[in-house]
Amino acid sequence: MRFSIQREVLLKPLQQVIGVVERRQTLPVLANLLVQVDGGRVALTGTDLEVEMIASAAADNAEAGETTIPARKLFDIVRALPDGAPIEVKMNGDRVALNAGRSRFTLATLPHSEFPTIDEIELVERVRLPEAVLKDLMDRTAFAMANQDVRYYLNGMLLDLREDTLRCVATDGHRLALAETRREAGGSARRQIIIPRKGVLELAGLFESGEGEVELEFGRNHLRVRRGEVTFTSKLIDGRFPDYEAVIPIGADKVVLVDRELLRAALQRAAILSNEKYRGVKIEVSPGKLRLVAHNPEQEEAVEELEAETGVGDLAVGFNVSYLLDALGALRSERVRLCLRDAQSSCLLEGEQGENARHVVMPLRL
Amino acid sequence: MPAPLRKILHVDMDAFYASVEQRDDPALRGKPVVVAWRGARSVVCAASYEARRYGIRSAMPALRAERLCPQAIFVAPDFARYRAVSRQVREIFARHTDLIEPLSLDEAYLDVTVTKSGLPTATATAQAIRAAIREETGLTASAGVAPNKFLAKIASDWRKPDGLYVIPPARVEAFLTPLPVGRLPGVGKVMERRLAALGIATVGDLRGYALAALEQRFGRWGRRLHELARGIDEHPVQPERPTVQVSAEDTFERDLRLDELEPHIRRLAEKTWAAAAREPARIARTVVLKLKTADFHVLTRSLTPPLRPASARQLADIACALRERVDRPADTLYRLVGVGLSGFVDRDAWAAQEDLFDAAR
Repeated sequence: MRFSIQREVLLKPLQQVIGVVERRQTLPVLANLLVQVDGGRVALTGTDLEVEMIASAAADNAEAGETTIPARKLFDIVRALPDGAPIEVKMNGDRVALNAGRSRFTLATLPHSEFPTIDEIELVERVRLPEAVLKDLMDRTAFAMANQDVRYYLNGMLLDLREDTLRCVATDGHRLALAETRREAGGSARRQIIIPRKGVLELAGLFESGEGEVELEFGRNHLRVRRGEVTFTSKLIDGRFPDYEAVIPIGADKVVLVDRELLRAALQRAAILSNEKYRGVKIEVSPGKLRLVAHNPEQEEAVEELEAETGVGDLAVGFNVSYLLDALGALRSERVRLCLRDAQSSCLLEGEQGENARHVVMPLRL
Repeated sequence: MPAPLRKILHVDMDAFYASVEQRDDPALRGKPVVVAWRGARSVVCAASYEARRYGIRSAMPALRAERLCPQAIFVAPDFARYRAVSRQVREIFARHTDLIEPLSLDEAYLDVTVTKSGLPTATATAQAIRAAIREETGLTASAGVAPNKFLAKIASDWRKPDGLYVIPPARVEAFLTPLPVGRLPGVGKVMERRLAALGIATVGDLRGYALAALEQRFGRWGRRLHELARGIDEHPVQPERPTVQVSAEDTFERDLRLDELEPHIRRLAEKTWAAAAREPARIARTVVLKLKTADFHVLTRSLTPPLRPASARQLADIACALRERVDRPADTLYRLVGVGLSGFVDRDAWAAQEDLFDAAR
C-alpha cells in the first residue's frame, strides 16, 4: 500500500472522520483509522462501533492496499506539516512510513482485518430532503437531547417520518424541542428512528446550508447518509421514544406574546443572580406585563420587567432559565408565544408566525 | 439528687446591626446610628448606643426616632452582611464547644461544662471568646456565665455593653433576691401587674410564696415561677436541630390596628428571613402570621403558596396579605405580631425540575 497526496487534500477527510474516534476506546483498533487505497483513491474510516464515518480523496502514485494507522497521531502530524507539503505514505512491513520533505515518521499499524466496519444496512426506505432544511431541523432541536440519561432512548434524536412531514424531536425529559418540515408525499407507513446523540452531532457538522439535497437511507438498524465523498452510518437506538405528542400541552390557555430578543436579554440578565445549581427564574404574568425574578442563596435578587401582550393575571411559574434561553435561541420569529396553565404545568413556546417549531419546558419547583 | 452542675454562657453582640454599620463606615462611629428603612411607616431595626441615649429603641417607628434625635444617621439594614459576621462569631464559639444554641443572628447560648479548648473555667472561656470576637470581627460582645440559661441571659445584660458578668452557683440566690420579677423570662408587663397585686415586686418576694399557692393561682406557670425564683432552670442548651420553624415577633409600645401593622410585619419578615437563611440547605414553604389581640387572644394564619416565598419581600407580602384572613372587627387592637416560616424541607429534596413524562403518566 502506498500513495502520495498533498497535505490539504489529506487533511480534509481526516478532519471529517477524526471526531468519530473516541479518545478512550474499548478496543485498541478503534483508536486507528482504516486506510484503504484502491483505484487511485484513498479512503479513511473512523468508527466507535456506533457511528462510522468514511471520507475519501484522490491520491497519486497509488498502490492498492489497506491497513490501520493511529488516528490522532496521523491527524496531528498532517495538521502540523507546512501548507502545501507533499506527503508520501508507504507500507513498510508492519509499519507505515510517512514522509514529507525532510520530515519522516514511522507509525505502528494494526491489521485491517481487525477493524470493524458496517457493510449492509438492510435498506428499508430512502428519503430525499433539501440539505439546508434538514440541517436547520437538527440545529433547532439537537440541544434538547439527553446526555447519558438512563432512559437511553432519550440520548438521541427522533426522526419521525410521517406521511407528508418529517419531524425532528429531542427531549431530555425536562424540555422538548420539535421542528418539522413538509415532505413529498409517497412515503410508506409512518416510521420512527432514534439517531444516537453522537451521530446527530456528527451529522449536523457534516451538513451545510447550501442548495443541495441529501438522501437518508433508513435501514433496519442503521441510518446511512452519503454526501459527496463522505459516507456516514450510524446505528439506531433500539428503543421506543416516549409519546412526545402527549406532553405538548393543549390546555395551556394562558397566552403571553412577547418580543423574543427582549425576553432573551432579560432572562440572561436575571440568570446572573439565579441559583447556580438550579438556574431558577420565576416568571410572573400580569395584564400587559411579564416580570422575571431570580434569587440566589446569598439572597441577591434580580427583577426584570417587560411589556407583553396578555390579559393573564396572577400567574407565577418557575423555570430553569437555561431551558427557556435554549428554546428562545432556537426560534426565529420577532415575537414568541408562551402558553401557560399553572405553576405545575409545562409551558409551550412557539414563534408568533407558525415556524413549524415547538418547545415545551417543564417548570422548576422553586 | 441535684443535677450535675452545668456551666452556661450567654453571648450577646452589642447593638449588633448598628455596630456592624459603625465598624464598616468610620463616618458613623461615635454618632447616633439608626438601622431602619426610610419611609413614613418604617420601624427601627437597631440603634447604636449613641442613639439609645436619645431614647431610641428597636421596633419604634422610624419617624418617632427621627423626632427624638433629628441628627441621627439612618442606615438601611443589610442582613447579608450581618449574617456573614454572625457566621464568623459562630465559628469562634465552635472552637470551644459544639453545644451552641443560636437565638438569633446576635445571641447564643453555649454549654461550656466541658470545652474543646480545655480552658480551666467558664469565666476564662467567656473571656477568650470575647477577646476573639473583638480581635477577629472588630465588634464587642457581652457575656454572662451562670449555671443555667435564664441566669446566663440575665448576666450577659448586667454589664452591657462590652461586659462580662459571672453568677457562680453559690451567688445565685443572693443575686436573684433583689431582682425585680420583670427580669424573669416570661414575666411581661401584665404578669408583673398580677404579681404586684399580690405584693410581689422582687424575686425575693416571689420566693416567699409556696409552690401550692403559686400553682393554684397560675397553674403550670406557677411551678415555673417557683423554680425561677430559686434559680432553677433545667432547660438544656439545644444545639441546632434541623429547622422546623423560624419566627420573629414583637410586642408594641402601644396597641395597633391591623392596618397599622405593615411596617412591623416587614421588619419582622426581614429578621425571620435572615434567620432562616442561616441554614441554606433547608427551605420553608409555609408563611405564618401570628397576632395577639389587646385582650390576649392569639390568632395564627398560615399559607403554603404553590411557589414558596423566595425573599424577605415576598415573605412580607404574603404575611401582610394574610391579614385579610383575620375576621375580627377593623378596630380591633393588637399588642403583638409575629412572622414565621415553617414547613421546612431539604432544599435538595424540594427544588426539583419537573419531568415531562412523569406529568404525562
